[in-house]
Amino acid sequence: MTDKSVPTGIVITGLSHDYTPRAGTRVRALEDVSLTVATGSFHALLGPSGCGKSTLLYCIGGFLPVQIGSIRTDRGLVTAPGPDRGVVFQNFALFPWKTVLQNILYGIGKRGIRGAEARDRAQRFIDLVHLTGFEASFPGQLSGGMQQRAALARTLAAEPDILLMDEPFGALDAQTRRIMQEELLGIWRQTGKTVVFVTHDVAEAVYLADEISVMSARPGRIRRTLSAGFNRAADPAVFKRPDFAEQVELIWQMVRAEVDDARRPVSA
Amino acid sequence: MIGRIALRCSAFLVLLAGWEVANRLGLIRPFLLPPLAAVAARLAQDVASGAFFLNAAATLYRTLAGFALACAIGIPLGILISRRPLVGWFVEPIVSVGFPMPAIAFLPIFMLWFGVFDLSKIVMTGFSAVFTVIAAADAGTRGVERQLTWSAQSLGASRAELFRDVMLPAAMPQILTGLQVALPLALIVEVASEMLMGGNGLGGMMVNAENYADSVGVYAGIVEMALVGGVAVALMARLRRHLLRWHPEAAA
Repeated sequence: MTDKSVPTGIVITGLSHDYTPRAGTRVRALEDVSLTVATGSFHALLGPSGCGKSTLLYCIGGFLPVQIGSIRTDRGLVTAPGPDRGVVFQNFALFPWKTVLQNILYGIGKRGIRGAEARDRAQRFIDLVHLTGFEASFPGQLSGGMQQRAALARTLAAEPDILLMDEPFGALDAQTRRIMQEELLGIWRQTGKTVVFVTHDVAEAVYLADEISVMSARPGRIRRTLSAGFNRAADPAVFKRPDFAEQVELIWQMVRAEVDDARRPVSA
Repeated sequence: MIGRIALRCSAFLVLLAGWEVANRLGLIRPFLLPPLAAVAARLAQDVASGAFFLNAAATLYRTLAGFALACAIGIPLGILISRRPLVGWFVEPIVSVGFPMPAIAFLPIFMLWFGVFDLSKIVMTGFSAVFTVIAAADAGTRGVERQLTWSAQSLGASRAELFRDVMLPAAMPQILTGLQVALPLALIVEVASEMLMGGNGLGGMMVNAENYADSVGVYAGIVEMALVGGVAVALMARLRRHLLRWHPEAAA
């Protein structure tokens, strides 16, 4: 790959975030989150639904405003969305009116690259995610797995330093998900990007991530950050290893405790 | 395709047959319902003399000019309503009052302002269509997923580019639905304006025939309007299929 982007780390300090579901009410989604994601590492945010892990990701993306605290990358403070932070959503969020090729060309064009050079670059990323032959298809004509490949290629083609992934494989069937996880690891090893990956699937987090932050619900806090590191083994059969199963069980117990906590009525 | 067209035409054939039978049996006086053959002959005469094309062109020119005006103003306004609070504050209440208003009531005012020729008719037509267009663009824009705009932003789109790159195409299915309602509306109001103001065009020609108690001419005018309206609506549906070929509805 001739990717000129430079992976950067992320330093989050004392981040809190409130949202307003109705006028006049405020709900705290994130409470005093501090987190450091090392340059080039794969970091999973794990937690029960509603724990604010997506909110945290959207804050890093600059889609939600930083209200209290700060988020800093090597390029400075995060204040708005930017092409240094690429994002992949669970619902793909491809432009349905553009073909696969046009979707991927969009971010390339925004970088000022046009013509044959842009097409070459788009084709490289289409090949990378194994969508060769589907350049002229519209997203609506593709399966969920293929749409997510296209979305991943679109994001990678814009050459971000950091890849933000919001339950990207959550809408896929189990088989497709396994294949996509393997391929994502392959791409990550090739590009060396810093990845923040939101999931509620413990095994997925343990399989993919260097480090896993377990979050608690309402308001979202980082309960613990553990290292996993099975992803460095480049071994798809890692699922069968006893130490992998042990790690999954250990983290599952932590998440389980958070789910039980979240079920209890909120006290004032 | 041909079978479907034949099926649709058959309904009109039944209607025309009823017309002819009613005439032949003398059920209705010829002045109230002239013979089909007389109307057909007048139609052929209008086509041969070119009067039909001149009148249809005059009506269509003003309809489409007004319609284009409604699109040029209505689509940006509709998109901005939910995105720019100031635009929403100003336009939304006006649209909600203007939408159910009988637009043609404004004709005397537009005649005073813009005279009795093409301009006042074009403004009248555009005015009648613009509320539908605004409402459609507004509804279409409100439904746009935030992930779509976020994706574009993180790929490097500026806030201004979001309107052209994301909002407009994402709202396009609903905008086109609005346009499909607004175009016949514009045509109706254009013909009504011609009938009230006179001059050329299909409505003007018809009101002329009416003034001379020429009932064959009135019926021929109705058939000519139906033809022009039908073609305009069919072309609009074609445009929709072309613009939305990416949309799942295109596969159906």
